[in-house]
Amino acid sequence: MMNEYYPNFAIIKEIKKETINTNTFVLKFTDQKIADKFSWKPGQFMMLSVLGVGESAISISSVENDNSINATIRNVGNVTNSIFSLKKGDSLGMRGPYGTGWPLEKIIGKDILIVAGGMGLAPLYGVINHVIRNRTEYGHLEIIYGARTPENMVFKDEFSKWKRIKNSTFFLTADEITRENPFECRTGLVTSCFPMMKTHHRNAIALLCGPEIMMRFAAKCLETIGFADKKIYLSLERRMKCGIGKCGHCQIGLKYVCKDGPVFNYDDIKPFIRPL
Amino acid sequence: MASYIIDKKDLKILLDKFLKEFKVYGPIKPGLDSSVDEIKSIDDLHLEYKSTIISPKKFFLPPKDTLFEFKIQKGNYEIKEIVNDEKFILFGLHPCDVNAILKLDEFFSGKFKDKYYQNRRKNSIIIALNCTQPGENSFCKSMNAGPFLYKGYDILLTDIDTKYLIEIGSDKGKKIIQGLKLNIASKNDLLKKEKKCKLANKKIKKILDPNWLPKLAEENLDHEIWIDLGERGGVAGSFPCLSCGSCSLVCPTCYCYDIYDTVDLSLKNGSRVRELDSCQLLEYGQVALGGNFRKDRKDRIRHWMFCKFGAAAGSKNSSCVGCGRCIRVCPSKIDITKVAKSLWRKK
Repeated sequence: MMNEYYPNFAIIKEIKKETINTNTFVLKFTDQKIADKFSWKPGQFMMLSVLGVGESAISISSVENDNSINATIRNVGNVTNSIFSLKKGDSLGMRGPYGTGWPLEKIIGKDILIVAGGMGLAPLYGVINHVIRNRTEYGHLEIIYGARTPENMVFKDEFSKWKRIKNSTFFLTADEITRENPFECRTGLVTSCFPMMKTHHRNAIALLCGPEIMMRFAAKCLETIGFADKKIYLSLERRMKCGIGKCGHCQIGLKYVCKDGPVFNYDDIKPFIRPL
Repeated sequence: MASYIIDKKDLKILLDKFLKEFKVYGPIKPGLDSSVDEIKSIDDLHLEYKSTIISPKKFFLPPKDTLFEFKIQKGNYEIKEIVNDEKFILFGLHPCDVNAILKLDEFFSGKFKDKYYQNRRKNSIIIALNCTQPGENSFCKSMNAGPFLYKGYDILLTDIDTKYLIEIGSDKGKKIIQGLKLNIASKNDLLKKEKKCKLANKKIKKILDPNWLPKLAEENLDHEIWIDLGERGGVAGSFPCLSCGSCSLVCPTCYCYDIYDTVDLSLKNGSRVRELDSCQLLEYGQVALGGNFRKDRKDRIRHWMFCKFGAAAGSKNSSCVGCGRCIRVCPSKIDITKVAKSLWRKK
């Protein structure tokens, strides 16, 4: 019987700096057979572990041709802190992918509105790449990305490319701009971009990821401008210990975020994320 | 399968046969209260117990369990498997506890199989004992989990005055009593069991209808009862919840666990451990940067209640069996049946 709790091992092929406390780690399973078998969907996550420290759920931002996994990680806790102490060539534990991912097939033919906040762009990065690769299959693409400051934004190298995507709009906004403003960021929350939005709710699907408070307000605003709950998807964060729907920590109502999510239809989980 | 009888004084013969081949765990009474622990002889056994404080869940889902051990050498890791293949008998379990194990069985199967749980389960034999003396907190009858058992046992005993009625529930059960000279039960013995069942049912005073529990949860997500229970004066004669987690500690269906790593002083050898956790504790929903998805006590007690009502992600597999342990140990005197009834009344 296979034991799902055993981590496989992966080697750090490369570390790319994103912000002052965020890096993208390029990880490859040391066992070539596992690497070859690996398949994923944008929105899924991996359980990364540093033995002796612990395990954390980290979303997959993209996967390269040789099945190396790009994990964009912010240094915020014990496990991420010890991952940041690792160097190129070091190895760590990795198992997955887990979770459901974004409903990419279901939204073919639709206009896509992406609202991301801070690190929330990481699970959506795969969606943007997917849409770019299959540009004719989807309608208008609108990306609204907000962060605390322009320096806190991840995937900055991609911004110029995203601005040039055919049939798309791209907004960048920051809570405050203290130093330089290289990407012509607006000031304000993500919701402040909604009035200028080109997407019309009639044929659109909204994909949200960011801090829960941001998603709550963004979903509410989208509702007021006519988006049906069913047309809004969001990716949730919860404490996760097992990643396989057993340990109980990520429960939200009748669902496990790790197994039934992390991507949910707003309609299904609305009662559980509203402020009570 | 056939039923047999054995004189109470001959129970020693049965137990001695088991002790020869297996480790046997059963109800003992070392102090003021009973617990399920290792039995060395018939003198240890205390079958007239009402309920143990800690449920027999501990034999399948131990409070602390090592998932694997590891070695760290020059940045390389080596994982050492932990194999647990002790064969054991659980002797004299009450129907509520057996039903709880059946719920956990279902929970730990499915797409991702839990090897640790399933191994222990495979190596276990359950000898259940029908409950003729339900305690004042029991409401197993309402939850269809007692006081008499109809499934899930390998062997089932029923106290019929001077004798025990022995019923076989599985091939495993049939195998372990092979070679014993047992008398076949008469019609009269089986009638006696019926009578005992009726008597036991009458002793249960706490009654509720389990069918509307999930619906009750769904409809009362924002009910003020949760604020009462979490922050204000409590519900139906209780004090407010203290978030101590005692209810999860004793619950036979609470399965939530935490996973963490430990290392020795050399920082080279360590293990990954899982330890039972409780949704009542503040740290349960905590994430990095101080975020907490269940910060308020009312959210935590509500989640626990919903889980027992069968309206949380664990679904029916974590729902209540009516053993009454949580009612007994709660320092705030919170009674799940009274909470359910208050919700029903305030609709």
